[in-house]
Amino acid sequence: MSDQTTPPIDPEDDDDRVLAAEYTLGLLPDTERTAFEARMASDADLRAEVIAWHEQFATVILDEVDEVAPSAQVAKRLQTRLFKPEKRSFWQQIWPYGLGGVAAALALWLAVSSGLITPEEDALRADLVAELAPTPDGEGLVIRADVDTSRGAVQVIRAAGTPPEGRVFELWLIAGDAAPVSLGLLRDDTSTIIDLPQEVLALMPGAVLAVSDEPPGGSPTGAPTGAVRAAGQLTSS
Amino acid sequence: MTPNEEVENLIARVAMGDRSAFNRLYDRTSAKLFGVCLRVLNDRAEAEEVLQDVFVTVWNKADSYRVNGYSPMTWLITITRNRAVDRRRALRLPPIPIETADLLPDSKPGPEATAVAAADARQITACLDELPRARAHLVRRAYLDGDSYADLSEATGVNLNTIRTWLRRSLLALRECLSR
Repeated sequence: MSDQTTPPIDPEDDDDRVLAAEYTLGLLPDTERTAFEARMASDADLRAEVIAWHEQFATVILDEVDEVAPSAQVAKRLQTRLFKPEKRSFWQQIWPYGLGGVAAALALWLAVSSGLITPEEDALRADLVAELAPTPDGEGLVIRADVDTSRGAVQVIRAAGTPPEGRVFELWLIAGDAAPVSLGLLRDDTSTIIDLPQEVLALMPGAVLAVSDEPPGGSPTGAPTGAVRAAGQLTSS
Repeated sequence: MTPNEEVENLIARVAMGDRSAFNRLYDRTSAKLFGVCLRVLNDRAEAEEVLQDVFVTVWNKADSYRVNGYSPMTWLITITRNRAVDRRRALRLPPIPIETADLLPDSKPGPEATAVAAADARQITACLDELPRARAHLVRRAYLDGDSYADLSEATGVNLNTIRTWLRRSLLALRECLSR
């Protein structure tokens, strides 16, 4: 007597060769694909079957798909994208921080002395300072940071420049070759005071402070994700 | 040097960061790979975007080519086809309709079977020609055009499970033929 609940088994069911072909063609539903990939990781025969299908199907493409020349723009864009990177790395962005420092300091001094910025009465007793020179992405920014190591805080004064629409400024500490450490977000007004833990204070002498623009709430990854807009080295005042 | 050896050689040099080899590899293979993108995407701008991504991957991943077991053109074609199919699915491009009359299960082998002399036909082509014409068409749609089961179901008006059964039977027949 036949079992009515069991569907008829077709010869292609449970055939790994067919599964491998479906996998090669990208036809497997997500769950089946994941299961197949897991099996493939530990089954050399299955991998060989998939490679064999790829080889066979690639032959069909070689024989049946016509060659079409892409526009010359593709080659040109590739050259730019691969060999002349326009977007510089984080480290390249902060490298020339020293150059604009003098100009930034002058601008800040002008801003303070012309009354644009009034340092708070309880301003920190700074023993480390940094003029954050604007990078090419940060044109117009004038930012200065004063660190009071005995109080354990940094005051960031933004004398000129604002973050791009819908972005916020985030302050980073870069000590030596270590990855940037977030110190916090800059407030909308011109001055922000951020308390610093002891382990961060210990890293500060000679380190670099940098400001990047980030989505509201700060970098989602813990590392700078937006452009570095200004950077400068901390020196004893 | 055979064309395959030439491409293999170029990939090996690209893996070492040789830019002139990269440019020659591009000149040598981009028209075929662009044809693949265009076939799947039917849109020059999208196809060029994918082609560009493919060559960025080739530049970055050429050093992993040796260990993956593919012949060089298959490696390039596989990367390209998969990228183009991913793009097509992300764009949710509707499939090109297939006439129901073309899907009768008893359709005879296509004209290709008689046109191609048996001696110089590739094995896979010969095996596809052994399938009923409509079934071979579905396999080519899945591979060359990147249609999913859902696409093929939409394109034919045939229910998805039936489409899958047809395809699987065709693939099994193809596999049996290939191992003869």
